[in-house]
Amino acid sequence: MAQIICRYHKRDEVRWISHLDLKRTLERAMRRAQLPLALSQGHNPHPKISLSPPLPLGATGDAELFSVQLAEGMDPGELKQRINDSLPSGLEVMEAWVLPAHRKKETFGDIDIAQYSVTVKGEVDAARVSEHIADLMGQEELIVQRGGKRPPRSLDIRPFILSLALAQASEDGVELRMRLRTGSHGGARPQEVIELLALNGADRTITYHRTGLFAGAQLGAERASAGRSTGAPRAGRLHRWTRSRSSRERSESP
Amino acid sequence: MDLESLLPRVTKPARYTNGEWNAVHKDAAHVRARVCLVYPDTYELGMSHLGLQILYHVLNSHPDFLAERAFAPWPDMERQLRDHGVPLMSLESRTPLRDFDAIGITLPYELTYTNILNVLDLAAIPARAADRGPDDPLVIGGGPGAVNPEPVADFFDAILIGEAEEAILDIAEAAALRDRDAALARLSEIPGMYVPSNYQAAFDGSGPKGSVTPRNGAPAQIARRFVAHLDDAPFPTGQIVPFLDTVHSRVTLEIMRGCTRGCRFCQAGAAYLPRRERTVETVLRQAEEAVAATGYDEVSLLAFTSVDYRGIEELVGKLVERLGGRGVGVSLPSLRADAFSIALANKIQQVRKSGLTFAPEAATDRLRRVIRKHTSEDELFAAAEAAFSSGWTRLKLYFMIGLPTETEEDVEAISDLVRRVVGFGRGALGSRAGRLRIAVSIASFIPKPHTPFQWVGQESREGLLRKQEILQRALRGRAIKLSWTDPGVSELEAAISRGDRRVGAAIEQARALGAAFDAWSEHFDFDRWARAFGEAGLDLHDYAHRTLDYNDPLPWDHISCGIGKDALQAEAERAFSEGDA
Repeated sequence: MAQIICRYHKRDEVRWISHLDLKRTLERAMRRAQLPLALSQGHNPHPKISLSPPLPLGATGDAELFSVQLAEGMDPGELKQRINDSLPSGLEVMEAWVLPAHRKKETFGDIDIAQYSVTVKGEVDAARVSEHIADLMGQEELIVQRGGKRPPRSLDIRPFILSLALAQASEDGVELRMRLRTGSHGGARPQEVIELLALNGADRTITYHRTGLFAGAQLGAERASAGRSTGAPRAGRLHRWTRSRSSRERSESP
Repeated sequence: MDLESLLPRVTKPARYTNGEWNAVHKDAAHVRARVCLVYPDTYELGMSHLGLQILYHVLNSHPDFLAERAFAPWPDMERQLRDHGVPLMSLESRTPLRDFDAIGITLPYELTYTNILNVLDLAAIPARAADRGPDDPLVIGGGPGAVNPEPVADFFDAILIGEAEEAILDIAEAAALRDRDAALARLSEIPGMYVPSNYQAAFDGSGPKGSVTPRNGAPAQIARRFVAHLDDAPFPTGQIVPFLDTVHSRVTLEIMRGCTRGCRFCQAGAAYLPRRERTVETVLRQAEEAVAATGYDEVSLLAFTSVDYRGIEELVGKLVERLGGRGVGVSLPSLRADAFSIALANKIQQVRKSGLTFAPEAATDRLRRVIRKHTSEDELFAAAEAAFSSGWTRLKLYFMIGLPTETEEDVEAISDLVRRVVGFGRGALGSRAGRLRIAVSIASFIPKPHTPFQWVGQESREGLLRKQEILQRALRGRAIKLSWTDPGVSELEAAISRGDRRVGAAIEQARALGAAFDAWSEHFDFDRWARAFGEAGLDLHDYAHRTLDYNDPLPWDHISCGIGKDALQAEAERAFSEGDA
């Protein structure tokens, strides 16, 4: 048995496929690559694959992760090559590494912060956006409506916005960067932040790109509630999920 | 506005993008003909249709031709396309459908016909062939619905009757002429091809009575096209692997085409004759190739009745042996209610739990004789017992109501039969009886062209509803899950199935009144259809319910499936005399 973790890109048209469809796509790609997949026991044997938290539909990402259990060891470089030869265009494994044998199955359950770069193309007043951000981050609570097919309910997402900043402004539009809580203990969606900033509109094209996944929101959340800081978290407080993160490396600032 | 900016506004945007594994991207500049294959329902349904995958593969395997795909956009996407003036485009290269040399549209079932009109409208292609000009692509139909092409005849430049995997290259050659008149002349020379403009339809009163006669030297009858040897027929092992979860997310291997059981209600039996098989070696080779090329974890063996395939035991045994170790399951979607089927299913069970479906169709031996469904009660019970004692806790049972000569006793017998199956299940499962689930599906009989029952008028909606109520009252309980089809849907299906060329106007009118995706219960509106028929000067009721005389000319008499009208009549008479016996 061996466990391999892959960091991969999701971009171009495949950004329109859902988390569940993505999982099936990865499974099938690994079958096509004829990897020695470890299968679960029982009547319905299936490969043991875990994915990092879902990307919003339509968002791209280059810090996405999955883990896969293999029945026998394999060179990560060869694995990366073989998977990439079998992946549809838009999905690409950037790095792959082996976890030590004693480590239990990696399910990315500790990932609770996602970092996004959001580009808003169109006519945008950058100074107004900056003001708006400051105003937003100064609020006690930020109520959004959630529901989808179910009846809508109100939710305060202020505690889940750890940082929000205007990263770039040009004639074409603006780029925002944000760190948001994600995972089973609640989170904010980048689209909700854009809506709160009233940046969504028919005349604008908005693209969402996830640039990092982190573990360690406990620290970030405490800081956010204490300081209401609009800046980036201090370096060293979060753990960026990368190859070296398998041993919990410190992160750089976004 | 481009398609890209519409994607965030619709559900399941992956229906309209592409890049699936095994999708083909060719350069339009280097081919002689570009064909867009259209399935007139959702992406998920269309991508589960094997015919589309076969034709896509055949065309794209040819260096001179290119095939791309398009599907009916869901109403939310349709609204976006219309609001922003974006034409319907192919998936692969996002080329507007108008810019193809030919559009090939599947005729899967009658309730998709409004979608065909919608697709043409969204593509800015005139709905009626007579209104198309030199700049419009050829619009060619084909598929199961083609055995009665009349209801859609006005919308198509040509319709292929029968199997298309050989004819499709001839069609592409005609499209390559890039000259509408020359192409139509070429198309009319293709065996099995029906060019409606070469035929004059005549009518006799309301309902399916009338004739279609040739002009311009066209043949009086079009003989259905079929491939002689299935083993030599092209088959795509590199099937496109959709990202979206489709109806059939698995490798489909066609082991057999056609069925000789001769159930008298079954149109597919007539439309896919003769019975042809692939050899075990070929299927095994295709299974290996397809699993390697797609990465699917299930292989499904396609046939009308897979247990009639001569090498079925050998094939299933070898497939399980070769694929089981890799976690690849095998499924047989068309089992029969007998012990042999259970033994086979047990073999498959070694790898994967799959459901069991039995289709006795009728619950009395008398009525089963009428419809020529040769399953005896004893066989069915033996099969059910064998299934339960082998560990199955779920069974599906398919029945039909409204069958010719059916009485209320026949309907009540359905509930008796189901309750006895439940009893067997409880007994066999013992302490696990709580997990017993019998899904009972009740369809309504629909008279279909080219079957011995084509002359029979469908039972009224009121009659069908009363029979459904009998079953709803009788079949209650935790272990039973009852489902049925809306009698209005069945009535419309009957009316279009037996429709003549005038019914095309009713379809146009229904579309104008907003009908689309009629096979989806949330979109189906019977009153709208009744109104549409009325506004077209027709009575829906007559098409569905009128019982015809054996001597009446029928709107589909110019289409030959291989069984003569005399033979069908003899079979019908036999059915009724067996019902009296």
